[in-house]
Amino acid sequence: MEKLVYKFPASKPIQSKTHIGVVGSGDLEILMEPIEGNEAIVEIRTGIKGYADTWERVIERFMAQQQILASIKINDFGATPGVVSIRLAQAAEVSTHV
Amino acid sequence: MSNMLQVSLVESKARERAQILLDEGSMVELLGPFDGFESPHLEAQNIVPQSDDGMVIAKGTIAGKSTLVISIEGNFQGGGIGEVSGAKFAGALERALEDCENGHLIYPIIIYDTGGVRLQEANYGLLSIAEISSAIVAIKKHVPVIGIIPGKIGSFGGMSLTAGLCSALIMTREGRLGMNGPEVVEQEAGVRELNSKNKQFIWKMIGGTGRFESALIDKVVEDDLPNYIEAIESIWSENKYAERTQQYTEFLSMLDELSVKEKIEPTEAQSYLKHRAKYMGTKENKQSNQQESRGRSWFNKLTDNAPSISPTPSVLVADKEQDGRKVRYIAVVPNEESKFYRARNGEFGLEEAWTVAKYVREAIEEDAKMDEKRVIVPIVDVPGQAFGYHEELFGIYLACAASVEAYAVARQNGHPLVTLIVGKAISGAFLSHGMQSNRILSFDDEAIQVHVMSKKSAALVTMRTVEELDEFAKTVPSMAYDIQSFQSLGAIHELLQDIDADQPSDEQVNRVKSSIEAATTDILQSKDDSLRVRLTSEKAVEKGRKASIAVRDAIKSQWK
Repeated sequence: MEKLVYKFPASKPIQSKTHIGVVGSGDLEILMEPIEGNEAIVEIRTGIKGYADTWERVIERFMAQQQILASIKINDFGATPGVVSIRLAQAAEVSTHV
Repeated sequence: MSNMLQVSLVESKARERAQILLDEGSMVELLGPFDGFESPHLEAQNIVPQSDDGMVIAKGTIAGKSTLVISIEGNFQGGGIGEVSGAKFAGALERALEDCENGHLIYPIIIYDTGGVRLQEANYGLLSIAEISSAIVAIKKHVPVIGIIPGKIGSFGGMSLTAGLCSALIMTREGRLGMNGPEVVEQEAGVRELNSKNKQFIWKMIGGTGRFESALIDKVVEDDLPNYIEAIESIWSENKYAERTQQYTEFLSMLDELSVKEKIEPTEAQSYLKHRAKYMGTKENKQSNQQESRGRSWFNKLTDNAPSISPTPSVLVADKEQDGRKVRYIAVVPNEESKFYRARNGEFGLEEAWTVAKYVREAIEEDAKMDEKRVIVPIVDVPGQAFGYHEELFGIYLACAASVEAYAVARQNGHPLVTLIVGKAISGAFLSHGMQSNRILSFDDEAIQVHVMSKKSAALVTMRTVEELDEFAKTVPSMAYDIQSFQSLGAIHELLQDIDADQPSDEQVNRVKSSIEAATTDILQSKDDSLRVRLTSEKAVEKGRKASIAVRDAIKSQWK
């Protein structure tokens, strides 16, 4: 298991706590919570070691597009970068709509 | 509105399943993903936890009726029950029971999707399942408990026992219900006993349709929401349930009729099971070669060699006066002549489970009008449940549920139950014979083991090596097999020192008798007929059951 933490400047606060997904094979769970300040925190726990670079790129792109100000916790069970991106977009959409 | 899309439970996740079933807008989740109750044991084993530990607890209404939905997430760790998920399940039922006792009826619905105990937390799963079972048995006196097994995993392992305890079961054709999963039966008994890769055959054996044709469940439905709701409302509108766990006479006589020299086909088995009510014969006492075992030797010592009243040679039962109190001793022992060839070495098989259920039930009935209920002492030396094709086919999950329920009812009716572990106390066998007692005593002995699955099978299921499992067990006491580790979880009342388990002296036997007597006095003084003592013991509070206790406290504060 590997733990990764990233911080990004962010400006768009989210409206509500959002939870999607499960820690099941090839999938992941995302928890988004509103946060104060101007920095989003992304904490990742993944069962697959050695993919820190890939994670960083996926998260970076997501944050560049969405700019959401939130605490984001990700529990991963081997999701592919494509699945991660879709899940993140899904969570962002739910959390920014009331 | 006639062309509405199918609303599938099979294809939905645990939380969605609860949401779909409950009336729109009525669902309130307890201990949800943001409450921070994940497993404290998985990270240490390099496994990513899930925020709800794979267990969704929700209150709401169905057709306006106050309902508690307990929904297991099969996609997380195979729906395995760990300490937190187990405590959420048991804790919610315990609250519901309290509500019912206070006249506020709330109807539990359990949605199963589970392989049983989570092997990475092992004995926590065992303890949790005992507590869940006890709560189901108690709450059934007030409201029916409905179990739904939609699939895709089904319900297996210790959780299949809790399914067997439900007042009524609803399945789909995709659901499966069995005690030992096909892969584990194949691992333990060989591919000639059962080929787990023959999916079509497996579904015929233990799938929803087969179970329905065997009169082991109540409804088999097409996987669409209105069908589930209709089935639930229909079950609620009845006030009589099948009470299959009480059918020991039918099952024992039916088992007596079987010949298992050749494999019995699933369709033939269904016919036996469906017409089981016609088998009502009583069995002759079949004395066989008496194999030595710790269970037998302690049964003989504690009863002063009293003859067993049980016709099943592998189950010894005798009543004995002990210091002015009547005590019923029950031991399961090897019988190398048993026709059930997977249950010859002291395993808890179909005959053993139903026989234990019978003699516990009979004690309850005989003492029904007495002020002083007899003490019941399960003597535990069981290497596990029987892993076999016929065992699964004829519903060993139900047989084990029957003995679990008999013991739980005895305890809840005021019989003091004192378990004495003299040998192995393993998995479903221990759940069915020993785990429902008010107090558990054990010898402090190296040969004693408490665990949920053989190391080889556990390695297969968790995709690790036996060496890796041994390594984890050093830091995670619930995964270890020795009695000291089990004791650290807080469920052992007394660990008896310096007893020669194989060749005890008279003084040692007397000490064991005194300990049983002291435990009995302790039970009677506590006036508590639940299993709560396992959560209030010093070891439980300090470390052993910390998460189990915290989860229950949180449920209590969120329960409205």
